[in-house]
Amino acid sequence: MSKELIRLRDLTMEFDGERILDGINLYINDHEFLTLLGPSGCGKTTTLRIIGGFLTPTSGTVTFDGEVINDLPPYKRQINTVFQRYALFPHLDVYDNVAFGLKLKKIPKDEIDRRVHEMLEIVSLKGYENRSVNALSGGQQQRVAIARALINEPKVLLLDEPLGALDLRLRKDMQNELKRIQQATGITFIYVTHDQEEALSMSDTVVVMDKGRIQQIGKPEDIYNEPKNAFVADFIGESNILDGVMLADYRVKFFGRVFECVDKGFEPNESVDVVIRPEDIDIVPPPQGHLIGVVTSVTFKGLNYDIIVDFRGFKWLIQTTDFHGVGSTIGIRLNPEDIHIMHKSEYSGMFGDYSSYSAEYDELTEDAEDEEE
Amino acid sequence: MKKTNRFLTILIFIFLYIPMFVLIVASFNTGKDITNFEGFTLNRYVELFHDEHLLKLLGNSLLVSVLASLIATVFGTVSAVGINALNPKMRQAAMTLTNIPMTNPDIVTGVSLGLLFVFIGTKMLGQRDSLTFWTLLIAHITFSLPYVILNVMPKLKQMDRSLTDAAMDLGCTPFQAFYKVTLPEIMPGIVSGGIMAFTMSLDDFVISYFVSGLDFVTLPVEIYSYTKKPIQPKIYAMFTLLFALIFVLMVAMNVMQIQGDRKKKEKRAVSDSKAMRTFKRVAAGFAAVVILVALGFGIFGTRQEQITLNVYNWGQYIADGSDDSMEVIAEFEKRYPHIKVNYSTYDSNEIMYSKLSNGGITVDVIIPSDYMIARLIEEDMLLPLDFDNIPNYSYIDESFKNTSYDPENVYSVPYTWGTVGILYNTKHVDVADVTGWELLWNEKYKDKILMFGNSRDAFGIAQYLLGYDVNTTDKAQLQECADLLKAQKPILQQYVMDEIFATMQNEEAWIAPYYAGDCLVMMEENENLAFYLPEDQGFNLFIDAMCIPTCAKEKEAAELFINFLCDPEIAGANMDWICYSTPLSAAKNYMDPETVSNPVSYPSDEVLANGSSYAYLPEDISRFVESLFMDVRNS
Repeated sequence: MSKELIRLRDLTMEFDGERILDGINLYINDHEFLTLLGPSGCGKTTTLRIIGGFLTPTSGTVTFDGEVINDLPPYKRQINTVFQRYALFPHLDVYDNVAFGLKLKKIPKDEIDRRVHEMLEIVSLKGYENRSVNALSGGQQQRVAIARALINEPKVLLLDEPLGALDLRLRKDMQNELKRIQQATGITFIYVTHDQEEALSMSDTVVVMDKGRIQQIGKPEDIYNEPKNAFVADFIGESNILDGVMLADYRVKFFGRVFECVDKGFEPNESVDVVIRPEDIDIVPPPQGHLIGVVTSVTFKGLNYDIIVDFRGFKWLIQTTDFHGVGSTIGIRLNPEDIHIMHKSEYSGMFGDYSSYSAEYDELTEDAEDEEE
Repeated sequence: MKKTNRFLTILIFIFLYIPMFVLIVASFNTGKDITNFEGFTLNRYVELFHDEHLLKLLGNSLLVSVLASLIATVFGTVSAVGINALNPKMRQAAMTLTNIPMTNPDIVTGVSLGLLFVFIGTKMLGQRDSLTFWTLLIAHITFSLPYVILNVMPKLKQMDRSLTDAAMDLGCTPFQAFYKVTLPEIMPGIVSGGIMAFTMSLDDFVISYFVSGLDFVTLPVEIYSYTKKPIQPKIYAMFTLLFALIFVLMVAMNVMQIQGDRKKKEKRAVSDSKAMRTFKRVAAGFAAVVILVALGFGIFGTRQEQITLNVYNWGQYIADGSDDSMEVIAEFEKRYPHIKVNYSTYDSNEIMYSKLSNGGITVDVIIPSDYMIARLIEEDMLLPLDFDNIPNYSYIDESFKNTSYDPENVYSVPYTWGTVGILYNTKHVDVADVTGWELLWNEKYKDKILMFGNSRDAFGIAQYLLGYDVNTTDKAQLQECADLLKAQKPILQQYVMDEIFATMQNEEAWIAPYYAGDCLVMMEENENLAFYLPEDQGFNLFIDAMCIPTCAKEKEAAELFINFLCDPEIAGANMDWICYSTPLSAAKNYMDPETVSNPVSYPSDEVLANGSSYAYLPEDISRFVESLFMDVRNS
C-alpha cells in the first residue's frame, strides 16, 4: 500500500509518576484513516497530543517521514489538529478563524481569500464568513474547526473526539462527511474516539487501546471478528466470553461439551477464552439445541430483541429477531465459524458475563459520555 | 414589583451621581459658598488654568498614574499568565498572596513601603533624599498590581486552554499564540484592570503620603494639606475636569468596542481587526499625550542647571496669585532665575515633624510654630542661620526677637504671628454674654458652639479660663482642665478645625474659638461675625517662623528665600492675602490700610502683653494631654 509516514517506537509517558502510556509501537501510513479507540483514560488522547507536539514523551521516539521529531514544537510540524471542543478563536469570525494559519504564513491576501472560500465550500459553510463563531451550532463550529485545520494542507490531521459533543443524528452525518473529506483530500487522518461504532465505520485501521497499551491493531473487520483478548472482544460489540479448553486444533470444550471450531495453533488442552457474538447464535427448538436455557429478560431494540438466557447459571446475551418471552425455554446451535478462540489474558474473566446485564449496559453508556482528560 | 425595581435603580443612580453633580454645579458657581448658587461663571476654570502650581501637581498625578498603571498592567498581565500556568494548589496560594496586599490597610502598606525606601536609600545606598518620584512610582505600581491581576485572572480561567494549543497547531510560536489569541481573549480584563489601577493610583493619598519626598508631590497629597483656608473653588473646577476626563474615557472605550464589532461585520474585505487597531492607536495616542503633557509639567519644570529649593510650608500659607494677590513664589523665581522653588505643604506641626524625622527627604525651608521650633532646636534638627545673608532681618520688630523658643535669635526668622480669640455671630449672641472664655460654656447657646479639635488649643483655653500656666506640666491641673472640657462637651455642636469656615459662615454655629487671621477671612464673608479677644484672662499668642532644617541641601538659597520674604514690600503683599499678622512694621506700608488698623490683626501692645506662647512640652506631658483630650472627645 502507501508508504509509512509516522512511527511511534516504545513510547512511554508518565505524569507525576503515573504511567499513562506503556510501550506504544505503531506506524501510520500515508493517506490512511487510523483510529485510536479505547475507553476514557486509555492513553489515546495522550498519544495524539504527542504526535501533535503538545506533549514530549518520557521515553521512546516519534518519527515523521523518517525524522525523529520528539522535540519539534507543534508550530513546526506538518500536522494540524481538530480539538475536542473545537477551540475556535471567539474573538475572530468564521473567515478569520479559517484564515488564521494562512495569515501566519504570510500568504498573499487574494490567495487567502480564494482558499478560505474554497474551504468553506468544502465544509458547506459558504456564506457564513462574517458570522461570529459563537453564533454557530455545534455542527457548524465543528466544520469551521475542520476547515481551519485542513486549509493548511497538513500531511496529517489529528482529530480528538471531534464528534463527541454532537447529537446522534448530526454525528452520523458528520461521520460520512469526514470520511468523504478524507478520501477527497487524501490527507492522513488520525482519529481518536471511544465510540466503537464510529471507529469501525470510518477507519482503515483501528488501534484498540487500554491502560496505556495497544491491545490490537487491525482492519475493522478483523478487530470485530477476531478479537485478540477479552477486552477487545467486549469493547468492540457485544460478546459472550466463556472459559474453555482447547483439546486439539479445531476442537474446543466448554460447558461440558466439545464443539467444532475454525481455530488452531493452541497447545493441547490449553485453557482459552471462547467468544460467541450474540448475533451469531441460532435459536432452535429445545430438542435440537446444543444447549438449552431459560430466557430471563427481554429488551426490545428496534431491529432485534436482546434476550438474556440462563444456561446452567451462566447468562448469555443473544440477539434475535424473533420474540421469546421471559420464562420460555429455548435451544441454541453454534456453528464452527461462530466460535472464536482467544488465548487467556489479564482480561480473562472480567468481561463477557451478562449476569448483571442491565447494569453493565448503563455503565457503558455512562463511560461513553465521560470526556477524556 | 417591576416598578419598585425601577424606582430603586433610579434611586441608586441618584445616590451614586449626586455628589459629582454637586461638585460640577459648585465649579460654575460665582459665590464661594457651596450652599447658594449665586450665578454662573467660568472664572473658576480660568483661575485653574492660571494656577501653575495646581497644574503642575495635576501633571504630577497624571504622570505617576499613567506610568504606574501602564507598568502595573504589563506586569500584572504577565504575572496573571504565570500564576494561571501553575498547578491548582500553587495557583490558589499565589492568588491569596496577591490578594493580601489589596486587603491590607493603605496606611500599613504606606508606612512599610516608606520604611523600606528610606532604609534602602539611606542605609544601603547612602542617599539622603531617598524618597523621590521613583519611590512614589514604585509604590503606585506595587499597590495597583493586584487589581490588574484580579481583573485578568478570571478571563484567563474562563479561556479554553486548548485555544493556545490550537494557535500553536496552526503555526504560532508560543509568543505569537499569546499575542494573537490569549491577549485578545483576556483584553477586557486587562483594560478594566488598567483603568482600575489608573483610578486607584490617581486618587491615592495615604500610601503616596508616606513614600513621596517633597520634590515630587501628587495632587491628593497637596490638597489634604489645604487646611489653612477652605478648599478653593478652582479645585472644584479641576475635579470636574478630572471626572469629565474619566467619564469621556470610559464612554469612548465602550463606544469604540461596539463600533468595532459593527464595523467588522459590515466590511470584511478592508481589514479584519481595523476597529481594534484603531482603538489601540487611539488609546496609545491618548496615553502618549497624557505622558507628554505630564512630562512637560513634571520634568521640564525642573531644569538641571538650576538650584532646586525645597520649601515646606503650611497649606494655603503663602500668596499664590489668586484674588489679585502677588504670586510670591513666582516673584522670587523671577528675581532669582537660577533658583527653582519646589513648594510642598503640611497641615499640622506634628505632621511636618514626623515627615522630617522619618528621614529620606530634603527640605530647605520650613515654617513651624513657636513650640515646634523649640522642640526642633532641642532635638538638633535646625541649622543656625547666617544672618549676613538675611539683611532684611533688621526689619523684624524688636518684640519678635529674643523669643522664648529661640532666645538667642539663632535658628528662626518670624513669618507671621497671631492670636487665638472667639469668633461669634452678633445676630444670635447677646453682646452682654461676650465677657471671656466662659462664653464657650454658656448653656444659652447649647448646640451652637464649636470647639478646637486639637488638644493644645483646647487645653489652652481651659487653662486661661482656670488661670493656669498654658505650659504647665502639673498633671493635676491638666486633669482639672480635662474635667472642664468634659463639662463643655454636652453643649457643643462639634469639635472642628477646617469645618469652622463653612459652619460659621452659614450661621449653623454661632460661637467658636479660632485663629485671628482665619477669623478675619470669615468676617469678610459674613458681616454678622465679630471677633473677641479675652485680653483679661489671657490668650494664645503664636508665632510661625522660618527655619532651615538639618536635612537642607541649599542653605544659601534658603537664606535668600527667607530674606526675600522679609522684604517689606513682599511681606506686605503676602500678608494681605494670608490675613495673619506680620512681624514687620515696615510691611504695613504696603498693605491694605484697613487691615493694618484692624485691632483683630494688630491689637495694642498693652493687649498683646497679656498673650502667652505655647512652649514645647516634655514628651510624656504632651502624650498625657493627648490621651486626656481623647478621653474628653470620647466621653
